[in-house]
Amino acid sequence: MPAVSVDTFFACSLMVLLVLSAMTATAKLLQPRINSSLDVEGAERYGETAKHILLYAGKPSNWGQESQTIPEEFGLAEAGAKNPYTLDVDKVSRLNGESLYALSYAQIFTSLKVSDVSFRLEIKPVFDVRVNLTAIFEGFNETVYTFEVATEKSGAAVSAIVKAYIIAENFLQTTSVYNSDEMAHFNLTVPNDVEGPALLVVFAKSKFNDRIASYAVYPFAHNLSEPAAKGVFLKLSPLNYTLTVIPTSAGTVLSSVYALTFNYAAPLTQTASNVFSIPKFADASPIVLVATGWNSTKFFAEWTAYPQIPLQMGVDFSTMSNLSNVYAYEHLVAIGSAIYKCTVWLGGPKA
Amino acid sequence: MSKRNSGQIRIIEAFLAIFIIFSAITISAGLTTKSTATENSNLASVGLQVLLQLDADGSLSAYIDAGDWSGMREALNLLLPVGVSFNLTVYNAEMRQINTETVSNGAFSGQEITLVEYVCASRNPEFRYYVVRLYLAVAK
Repeated sequence: MPAVSVDTFFACSLMVLLVLSAMTATAKLLQPRINSSLDVEGAERYGETAKHILLYAGKPSNWGQESQTIPEEFGLAEAGAKNPYTLDVDKVSRLNGESLYALSYAQIFTSLKVSDVSFRLEIKPVFDVRVNLTAIFEGFNETVYTFEVATEKSGAAVSAIVKAYIIAENFLQTTSVYNSDEMAHFNLTVPNDVEGPALLVVFAKSKFNDRIASYAVYPFAHNLSEPAAKGVFLKLSPLNYTLTVIPTSAGTVLSSVYALTFNYAAPLTQTASNVFSIPKFADASPIVLVATGWNSTKFFAEWTAYPQIPLQMGVDFSTMSNLSNVYAYEHLVAIGSAIYKCTVWLGGPKA
Repeated sequence: MSKRNSGQIRIIEAFLAIFIIFSAITISAGLTTKSTATENSNLASVGLQVLLQLDADGSLSAYIDAGDWSGMREALNLLLPVGVSFNLTVYNAEMRQINTETVSNGAFSGQEITLVEYVCASRNPEFRYYVVRLYLAVAK
């Protein structure tokens, strides 16, 4: 073989080898950029889906109020709302698994009509209220409880005004309004002839905007009666300004049902067996509904909120981050007149 | 050129070709920059929602009419996500700045800044409108 052919063979082999190396290097260098552009498109698509959930009323637009209606198309916005990002109190309540009328994930997934997207939704007040029972002073006729209430957002103190209600058997007491720049401390007195356990309901509103509201419910022992877990005696399901109370066992007798907001407290009017009408309060505050009663010889106080917030529903992405591209979108929404924080997580298979 | 040298020339050509290809890749990789458009649009959306919610019941114009700049700062601080820095400026119809105090939760330090511009009307009987400029950045 002539030497020139050997040279040409080596030159061609070297060119092929080096061109292949160059292609590999190009692919390695550009792949992250290609992925990043896919991520941008995915993030935009998921972002629009999250907005659609919060800005569209769904079909039928009143699916929240009709307990048996499963939406054809999913959306949480209030039909005919004057402002964007105003959610319907009943649609939101039907996302909470505690409600008798809750939609299943499968029903929502089908009505969302985006087959390759899994989702998770969380709605909660903008700031948290934390309650601690710090001291108990037992007297002969009455017991004094000292509470400490902290209002905070992600660990930072929130300046708020705080008001509390205490509920026990045939007993409803309201506190004054306290300032909570960091902590509020107050004493509450409960007579010893009142049957326990008792329930403390605390409402808080930002000092700078009364639509930014939050609440906490703190059950505690009174007269040696320890509180049971939530939902042991009754299942409370508010919908369309009507509260349906379902006892979990026979022999449960209802005593009183109350609706509480920051500024108002009212006993509920019974409209049918175990059905109560909820007033439409002119108050930018969640409504806490409390039902008291007896189960054989045990007194109880069950509660729920209307809208049924805080709520978390949908897929838990924490264990699926290796399989899915997950995006979180935080929005501010109005429900009733109060402002809440809504986070929508959307995820699909990795590209 | 003799036939004996033509193979060596081809090898030199191959090296030259590869040099050109690698140079092109290196230069083009340096030219492309990661897009931050999505991040900015999310931040702008969050800022706009805060202003929308504050304006829904007239709170935004009430803060401005009353000159309650600390109230506005606290409300923004509460409604914006943790870790977002903001600076808000309010202008009247003649585009003169009217906030006499800084409405901010800290200085920006080299972050990518997003601007949200919002026009709100006063709910006073005398018609007035304000241009609100909200600068946002993710604290790093």
